[in-house]
Amino acid sequence: MEWLTPMIAVYAAAVSVPLLLLLYFLKLKRREQIVSSTLLWKRAVQDLQVNAPFQRIRHNILLLLQLLMLLLILLALAGPILSLLAGPGRRYVLLIDRSASMNATDIEPTRLDAAKEQAKVFVESLRSKAFFSLRGDCDQTMVMAFENHAKVMCNFTSDKRQLNMAIEAITPSDGDSSLAEAVVVARAFAQSPGLEADFLSAEEPAQLVLFSDGQIHDLEQIVVSSDELVFHCIGESRNNVGITAMQARRSNEKPNEINVFATLANYDAEGITCDVQLTINSNVRAVRSVTVPPQKTDSNSDTTQPGKVAVNFSLSYAEAGILEVRLLQDSRRAGFQLDSLPCDDAAWAILSPPKKLSVLLVTAGNVVLESALQSCPVARLEVHSPAEFDAMDFSAMSLEQPYDVIVLDNHLPTQLPKCRYLVFGRPPNDIDVSVSQQLENQVMVDWRPKHPILEYVNLTNLFAAKCYKMVLPRDAEVIAEFNETPALAMVRRNGSVFLLAGFDILQTNWPFEPSFVLFCYNATNFLGMQVGRRQEHNLEVGQPIVVEGLEPEILAQIDGPDFSGIQIKSSSSGSIRFAGTSRAGMYNLSVSSQPIRVFAVNLLDTQESNIYPLREIVFAGQPVKAQESSLSRANVPLWPFLVGLALILACLEWLIYNLKVRI
Amino acid sequence: MTNSGKRLTDLLDPNFMNRLDSLDVMSRKILQGKLQGERRSKRRGQSVEFADHRPYVAGDDLRFVDWNIYGRLERLFLKLFLEEQDLTVHIVADASGSMTLGEPSKELFIKKLTAALGYVSLVNNNRVTISFFGDGIKCQLANMRGRSCLHKMAEYLLTTDCEGLSHFDNACRQIAAGRIGSGVMIVLSDFLFKDGYDSGLRRLIGRQYDLYAIQVLSAQELSPRFTGDLKLLDIEDADAAEITVSSALLKYYKRNLTAYCNELKDFCAQRGAVYVLANSADSVESLVLNYLRRIRLLR
Repeated sequence: MEWLTPMIAVYAAAVSVPLLLLLYFLKLKRREQIVSSTLLWKRAVQDLQVNAPFQRIRHNILLLLQLLMLLLILLALAGPILSLLAGPGRRYVLLIDRSASMNATDIEPTRLDAAKEQAKVFVESLRSKAFFSLRGDCDQTMVMAFENHAKVMCNFTSDKRQLNMAIEAITPSDGDSSLAEAVVVARAFAQSPGLEADFLSAEEPAQLVLFSDGQIHDLEQIVVSSDELVFHCIGESRNNVGITAMQARRSNEKPNEINVFATLANYDAEGITCDVQLTINSNVRAVRSVTVPPQKTDSNSDTTQPGKVAVNFSLSYAEAGILEVRLLQDSRRAGFQLDSLPCDDAAWAILSPPKKLSVLLVTAGNVVLESALQSCPVARLEVHSPAEFDAMDFSAMSLEQPYDVIVLDNHLPTQLPKCRYLVFGRPPNDIDVSVSQQLENQVMVDWRPKHPILEYVNLTNLFAAKCYKMVLPRDAEVIAEFNETPALAMVRRNGSVFLLAGFDILQTNWPFEPSFVLFCYNATNFLGMQVGRRQEHNLEVGQPIVVEGLEPEILAQIDGPDFSGIQIKSSSSGSIRFAGTSRAGMYNLSVSSQPIRVFAVNLLDTQESNIYPLREIVFAGQPVKAQESSLSRANVPLWPFLVGLALILACLEWLIYNLKVRI
Repeated sequence: MTNSGKRLTDLLDPNFMNRLDSLDVMSRKILQGKLQGERRSKRRGQSVEFADHRPYVAGDDLRFVDWNIYGRLERLFLKLFLEEQDLTVHIVADASGSMTLGEPSKELFIKKLTAALGYVSLVNNNRVTISFFGDGIKCQLANMRGRSCLHKMAEYLLTTDCEGLSHFDNACRQIAAGRIGSGVMIVLSDFLFKDGYDSGLRRLIGRQYDLYAIQVLSAQELSPRFTGDLKLLDIEDADAAEITVSSALLKYYKRNLTAYCNELKDFCAQRGAVYVLANSADSVESLVLNYLRRIRLLR
């Protein structure tokens, strides 16, 4: 038997027991009653005392009962528990899944809450190092929460209060679940002794206790031994319909027209008819009834595929706005609940007004580049000679930013206004990029074809007769490489973005390649639309909000779906990076004297929308079955019995008192 | 009865007095009185009630010779008559503070009973003495005789207050020293004396007097209705007893009370006295007309 809170009982006893005794020793204030003679009364009192050999005790039986009752209550206050566990103390790591699928409401209130509840039951069952404990053994536990990242909530400890607080502090997120990082971190912590590991050896393997619905992406990457991990499966239902893909685009031909594509997935065994609603700035623009087919089981591979249906909307809208696609409950079926996971029932997109870029080309004369840029869908292309450019008012340009992209062709200005630059030739000076030497005869060896700048661009045949050997800072992003030097690189400095091409375009065969025009198109588009003022506003859960081109050290405030008023300061380079996009929804970033920037964070994850709870998960060939029975308390709290006994004693005392005073 | 004074009606109902007229005090011993009364005495004397014959001897009064027997037997016999004498009725009533308690009070009951017994005695030409005692004799109305004293008795009863301590032995010593003649002595009290009743009663029980001990207790004393934690204060000596009323305590109280009464009863029976227990809540009328006749105090 152990005591959870013995000191509370000791303090309570120190106060209450003397108080009770004092009350008994206090002289009773008796009512005065005049009688003819006290003769017979005194004899009766004497008889009463004489005839009861244990009269003193009998007289004070109420006191004895009260003392006994008080003792029971004090014992209950001390929190006695009967531990049914045996053996030496162990170490446990509780891994609690808080990914999007754990927000399913098939278990009230949510799966995450059920997992936390089970984790608390587990913690309650542990043996803690307590006063008056009959055993020296105690278990140590660590709490971790994971989605796509692992978060240590509490290092190894046997303090149940601290563990319960750590479990309680786990907040839901809409990220996808990956366990590998959590397992690595848990093992690393298990190697080092915990806070109270005075007699538990670090070599002793910690047992991993996983509370999850089993929908974890990276199980194949994790190797666990057969008895290292215990899995508690949380979840009951597979009933879910979600939006797994959504995109809103302006048509290239008609910038006022918006095409919205959404994919709905049904993970249930029955087809579902539901309404899809499209709103822009909270105004309903379209509602469409859609029947999503049931999930299919592939008989060959024995895998199931969700039933999918694509929904397209096309509408005319020329303003900026917030577009929302939402699944609605079928109003024709009263009481029908669409699904168990609400966070994938809506997706958002930020619409930017149709805008074409204005580009400034600074060149001493480069027909190839000028004609390539002219072929791009830019609103305005100005061409200035280097002398004209140097004569411009740079401070006004920094503030007003009249150009979305400035293309520098073999020009090294002394000063650079804040803007997005595409630089051909020698890189500018003050951006931490140095040029060590000039190289000759470079061929393209590697490039990132998936980068937006190199989309559809084939650089296989690119050859440079001369180019600069660029030594890049560590934070630079290399996009393409010659055999000896980076060919294309992106550098962010002083609130400006530089896409550096370390060669003269006329010293290469690139103008003769179709990829050059595509590159110019992509580069201006990317610099002007995505990294410039029109930065990417449509994000996925966990993807950071990045805003660049701000004043350095400026204070901004971020409001999200589950928080508001978080203050964040921009870096010295004038960028803000906020990684707390753990929930799907709309995020607002406000910087003083600037319009509010809105970001849409979407789940859009087919695996997280699949909420089917897996009873068996397979780690790199090692199947682990979920525990059949739910956790029960291995520690039986004894206080309810003690309180019940005290209640019985109170009744007994009442009965005795009534028997004594009854006439 | 109307001439017995308005004051007596404060104590006794006129109808009750009418019924008392037919009663008389009886003594189990036929006792010698001082004056010729309406009572048979052991002594042969002049009266109408024949007792016996005896042979004539010289010097006897010839008026008592039974001439009818002489006619038949030719021998002289003298007729003997029982002499009728008066009876002393001594009522000793408790007038200590304890008598004021009870609902109705024991004081009223005792005064009513005293009045009734005094009335019966006076209308039958008995000698009546009423003594109130507390810590000794408080006051005494001695040697009343005849209806003419009814008014006096009533006034006396109504003006005497019950208060102060009681010392029964002391009072009995004074009564025993002061009494003369013989007759019936009726003691009215609750007999709850801390120094005991036995030595006092022993003084009163003697050859000359027929003793009746009437113990008057209130209903509250016979079955108390107390609850809770109490400090009982003795009305006479302010002695305190702290009790917590419980069923056990009440049981012991009642057992003690019964034992006390039985002890008094046995004490009286062993000494030829008669013990009567009266509840002050009961009616004096029924006690006098029924019970006292049954025990032959009245006839």
